[in-house]
Formats: sequence, C-alpha cells, structure tokens
Amino acid sequence: MGIKKVGTKSQTIIEKIFFLDFMKGLSTTIKHLFKRTITVTFPYEILEPTIRFRGVHGLRNVDGTEADDFMSWIKKLKIKPPEKGETRCIACKFCQAACPVPELFTIKAEKLNVPEDHPHHGLKILAVFDMDLSKCMFCGLCTQACPTDCIIHTDIYDLSSYTRRNWVLNKEMLSQIADDFIARRGKEKFDEKSKWREDQTVWPLHEEDLKIRAKLWDGNIPQLGPNYYDQSDKTTN
Amino acid sequence: MSWISVEKAEKLKQKFENLTIEENNGYLTVETPKENLINLLKTLKEDPEYQFKMFIDFTIIDHDTKSNPRFQGVYILYSPQYKERIIIKTWAINEELPTLTTLWTGAKWAEREAYDMFGIKFEGHENLVRMFMWENYPYYPLRKDFPLKGYEEVELPSLNEEERGDQLEGLFNYSRMHTAIPTLQDLEITQKARMPKKSSQIVLNWGPLHPGTHGTIWFLFDLDGEYVQKCDIIIGQLHRGVEKIAENIGYQQFIPYTDRMDYIASINENHAYVIAAEKLMDIHDKIPEKAKWIRTLMAELSRINSHLLWLGTYALDLGALTMFLYTFREREKIMDIFEGITGARFTINYFRIGGVFADLPYGALDAIESFIKELPKRVDDYERLLTRNRIWVSRNKDICVITEEDVYDYGLTGAVARASGVPYDLRKIDPYDMYTEVDFDIPVGDKGDSYDRYLVRMEEIRQSSKIVHQCIEKLRKFSKNDPYFFQSEDPKKLKISIDGRGMKLPQGEVYASTDNPRGELGFYIFNKKAGIKPYRVRIRSGAFYNLQIFTKAIIGRPIADAITLLSTLDPVVGETDR
Repeated sequence: MGIKKVGTKSQTIIEKIFFLDFMKGLSTTIKHLFKRTITVTFPYEILEPTIRFRGVHGLRNVDGTEADDFMSWIKKLKIKPPEKGETRCIACKFCQAACPVPELFTIKAEKLNVPEDHPHHGLKILAVFDMDLSKCMFCGLCTQACPTDCIIHTDIYDLSSYTRRNWVLNKEMLSQIADDFIARRGKEKFDEKSKWREDQTVWPLHEEDLKIRAKLWDGNIPQLGPNYYDQSDKTTN
Repeated sequence: MSWISVEKAEKLKQKFENLTIEENNGYLTVETPKENLINLLKTLKEDPEYQFKMFIDFTIIDHDTKSNPRFQGVYILYSPQYKERIIIKTWAINEELPTLTTLWTGAKWAEREAYDMFGIKFEGHENLVRMFMWENYPYYPLRKDFPLKGYEEVELPSLNEEERGDQLEGLFNYSRMHTAIPTLQDLEITQKARMPKKSSQIVLNWGPLHPGTHGTIWFLFDLDGEYVQKCDIIIGQLHRGVEKIAENIGYQQFIPYTDRMDYIASINENHAYVIAAEKLMDIHDKIPEKAKWIRTLMAELSRINSHLLWLGTYALDLGALTMFLYTFREREKIMDIFEGITGARFTINYFRIGGVFADLPYGALDAIESFIKELPKRVDDYERLLTRNRIWVSRNKDICVITEEDVYDYGLTGAVARASGVPYDLRKIDPYDMYTEVDFDIPVGDKGDSYDRYLVRMEEIRQSSKIVHQCIEKLRKFSKNDPYFFQSEDPKKLKISIDGRGMKLPQGEVYASTDNPRGELGFYIFNKKAGIKPYRVRIRSGAFYNLQIFTKAIIGRPIADAITLLSTLDPVVGETDR
C-alpha cells in the first residue's frame, strides 16, 4: 500500500531575510498578469450549450424520423395514429413513472368524440400535458423512459419568469420548443431513428462557438479525436 | 472484503450469551440483547483480538408500528488493525438505548440525530437535544407513521396569492397550509438548549448566513477574551429529509436527490449510492469494465473539481484572493467537460445502478487529457503562491491539531483523518470499481494541524490526476461497441433499466461506502422484502462526522482560527444536513 508522507522544511534564514517566499509568489502573479483574459463576456458573447445539455423540455412531433416500433406503441395504447406535425406523445405516462418528482406532470388522454362508423372510433388522443418546471430537477430520467422519443431536453437554460404560473408549460408550448430545437440542432443530436447520435461531440464544433470556448480554455482549445480505437475520425474537426 | 470473518465473530459467543450472528453475502451482523451491548462494544474496542477502535456510524431502523419492540439500533465499527468492519444490532426496548458516548465521543451527534429523527432516548447522554430540527418541534420525522408530506398546520400564503387573491387555478392553486416552521422564540430556545451553561457574558453567534461558513451553519462560541472556551454548532437549516425521500421512491429515481446532498462533488455522491445498491443486488462484479473505468475517471475528476473549489475558498477566507480566481479557471474546464459528457455542470446524475446512462461523447478523452496534462503545472503554481508563504504558514501551522486518537474517537475520515496520520482510504481498504487496477499513493500527514490538511489535499489533487491518466490509457483500448450498462441475463428474474422503471432490489441489507472528497460516504440500505422502494436508507455522511471535531479542536484557540479550521475540515452543508 503506497503511503506518501507530506510535509515541507521550515524556512531558511536566507529565505526569510530576502523574502524569497514572497518573490516566488509574486513571480506567479506577474506571469499571470500577461495572460489573456478567460472571461466570456455574457451576454455579448454567448456560449452554445453542449449537445447533451439538459435544458427546458420539449415534446417532439411526428416528422418521419420515428423509431421502428412507434406504430406498435400507438396500437398498443389505442391512440389515434398521428399525422405529420402532430405530437408523438402516446400518453403512456412512462415519464411520470420515471420522474423523481412525479407530481410535476399532468397527463390526460381522452376518447375522440366521433360517430361509431368513423375509423377513429374508440381511439384516444392526448388532451393535457402540463409540466411544472419549478419542480423539475432536470435529471433527464423522463427522456430516457420515453418509448417514442417524444419528450426531449433542449438547450434552453434561461427560464426565469415573474410568476410561477409561467413555469407551467402546456403541450402546445412544449411542442413549439421542441420544433424550434429540432430545426436548430436536431441533426446534431439525433439520428434518423430519433436515437442519440453516436458521434455527438463533447462540445459544439462550430467555428464561432470554438472561438469563444477557446477563451475559456486559455487560448488553446484541445483538438478532439476519437475516444476508442475503432471509432472513426470526425472530418468536420 | 473488509468484513469480519464468521469464525472470528463466533468466538464472541464464548464470552457473551444470546448472540445471533448472521451472514448476508459478506456483511456480518451480530445481534445482541440490550443489556450486553455496552460490554460487547467495550470488548470489541479493547480486546487485542478485535480492536474495533474506529466509530463509523450509528443509526436506527423503524420496524413499523405493529412490531414490538419497534426500533432497532445499528452500530457500524471499523478495526484499523485488521482492516475489517462489523455491524452490531440491538433492539431499543421502551424506546431507550444506553449511550455510547462513554466509549466513543463521536457518537454524540449520531445519538442526537437518532433522538431527533426517531425519538429514541439515550441513558447517560450529556445533553440530548435535537440535531437538525428546532427544540419545540413536536414530531419525529423519520418514523414510519410520519407522513412524507408532513403535517400541514401553519398558514403561509404565497406572494402570488397575496397579489392576485383567488385567481390562481390548476397547478397554481397551492395549499396555503404549510408544515411547521420555527419562530424566533423557537430559535432562541434552541440556542439556549445547545449551550445550557455559558461562562462568559457574550456568546458569539457566527452564521447561519455568513460567507465564511460555506453554507448555512450556525456556530455558537463561548468566549474568554478572544479564546474559545466552548463551542456548539446548530445545523439543520438545509435539512430536507433525504433519507425519508429515499424510502418513498424508486432506486434509480433517488440518484438525482444524492446530487443535491454534496453539491460540490455530486458525482461522488452518486457513486456511493450506486455501489451500495449494486452490492445489495450482488452485481457489482458483473458491471461492464468500460462503465467501471468511466466511473472511476469521472469520480476522480470530480474529486479534483471539489478540491479546487476547496482550495479557492479556503485561500479566499484567509485573505488570498488571487487563488480563488486561479482555481476557478481550472474548475471551469472540468465543468465544461462534465457538461459535454453528462449534460449538466453541477447536479450531474450520470451514474446508474448498473453502469452509466450514456457512453462518452466524441472527443471527451482528448479534452480530459489536455486538461489533466496542464493540471500539475497549475498545482505547482498554487503551491508556489501558498505553501512557503510566511503568512500562510503562520496561519496554518500548529493550528487546531487533530490527533490520531480523535480520528478513531470521532470517526473522522477522508483528508482530515489522513492528515492526522491515519491512512484510511476506502479506495485501498475496500476497493470498488477499478481502484484495484490503478496505482496511486495515499498522502499522509504526521501532525494533524491545518497545514497538514492543506498539504494532504494538495497531494490528493496530484494523485487524482495520476489516476485519471491511467483511466484514459485504459479506456482508449476499449471498442466503441463495448457495453456501458449492465445487461441482465434473465430480465424476468433481475430487471435493471436506465430509467429505473420496474426495478426491484432483493431483500437484505448492505453497508457500502466510497471515499468522497469530504470523507467516507456510506449508504446503509436495509430491505425487509424485495421491492421497488428501499425500506430504510441511512446515509453516513463524512462531512457530518468531520464537522463534529470542530467543537473540540477549536477549544482554546482564538476566534480567527475558526475560519482556518472550518475551511480545512471542508464540510458541505448539503451533506451534513441531508
């Protein structure tokens, strides 16, 4: 078992008389005086959150990139088959079951009011999906539980508001947030089957963002390469 | 395995009657009648064959209102000589137990906590007052018949309601009723109860909201001139009942709550809990290697992160402002890497029972490598500023010495124990994940003063970066397709999922602990029967026990040393209060 004793010698007389300890300390601070600033001047420079960032939630709509078992889930829960642009949510409440604070979700499905001969007779539709984000811990368990990859985290982090009422997002707002996020960064995060892409990077590799991030990394931001021996090199870098 | 063997425990039966010894996959519990308890513990402590000198933890299990006797005391001890642990159990008949403070002074706070949370009386305890709640609080919150929501009995309208009257609907129709809150009179009574006999005219209050206390701790100093004669600490302002929450929630669902205990090193908190649950399920050895390496890597990065924050604020408290700016620069890089890998900077929730929730993103290892290459140079910079600086030395050397005896007596762990010359490091004693495979040294001080605690932590940063280097090297050899999460061979028997739905843990009990930056963080999980929720979760917080020595080490020191001592003990209030 490796044990390492720590300890230093006490100061010598020369060190004491010539204030060598202070000199050494000052040399460090003077060295730093000539270094570039590392502060990112928010809000003039805005660092884009990383792709895995767990920000405000969104509810994805049907856009042709659903997983293969999407239709079987629809059938299983007797939901009206959604058309393009309608929500993917099937009101299965898995997100609520996985949530550490279940009461933040209010999810209700209701039966469609159509005549008996209509093909959608007896099927349900998502009526209410409210999330009270003031109770949310942003742990990401709901997104991992979702069988249809409907609920996702976006990269929005500024959610302050004057009243607690504004922290409750309904399904229209959540859909809008997701649509907006998917249009901006969907390709970066998800693959064609709505799963997380394998080649997600540790931080965004856009020119502009790298320039700001380089500041934070003392001017020399590391070049990113593959983690594992059989991972392919990303050409965009 | 660091538990006492059955044969050795069986020998105890020769001396004591009515002992029940139970083995639960490696964890040995000895049950004794209440009358024999003190004698048994004394033998265990002093007999050269056992030498369980170190007090680890004490807690209570509530076996529901129907059971008689209802409460069971659980003692966990450690023997530094033989490097093994033991669990002693005894029933608290008539809700009373003999006090342990005659054997270990460190049991004082643990017993006060048991009184506060369960209402157990301790015969012979010198000042049995509440630990977290205020003095007039009428309930015992961790009892099974106390509802999770508490008793709502105080009317407390929110600001919105004041403004808008009854216009609040739906989710905003909060109940105006609130659980009990302390009034000013209650606080005054609490303060007096904590320090019943004061010798001087003035009791100095420090906190609860003072920047030097690193959170909400309330110190009481009984002063003679500038020198502290007596000291007590009122904690609990951040008490959220994490243990109660754990009993009412699924296993994976509890991980985000552990994030919020020690928020400075949330990864290490996740780690301890995850390992305890895995050991209860008996799958810890079957976790994929890649996941284990990732966890080791992240835990060490988190330790560096935590120590950097400690160094910055410690130096800041002692007047060296520059240090704070330098360490936060390095810390920002770690946070940036964490954000990229896990999606959060602070409350991370990356580990899962069974592995981690996602593989490392592209370029993560390069980012970590470039950071860790730079780090030793930066640590040298810090040391050049502080270590030999005469002001720094005179404010730290020989200040608030903690002896080896104190370490065993108070159950001190982590850097505080190591600085006093006790090489107590769970990464070596009871290795978990991949700590068996990595090579590192335990830094040990010899005097136990504040300066030693500083040097030990500085060395720990270096050792951690050494471990991270080795982890990166190992991880590079893996394939991208290697699993990062445990796959059950028979999902019907043993279901384990990333989101935690439908997960069941078997019946049994386990105590598992990891080496947190703040000391030993242990989770004692007790399951009466297999289920989706644990029956009782006890969190053995290193910071809680380390903070207890403050009341002793400060005696006879000037008030200015309080800052030094508190900073070198490095408690985080989220963890002490839970």
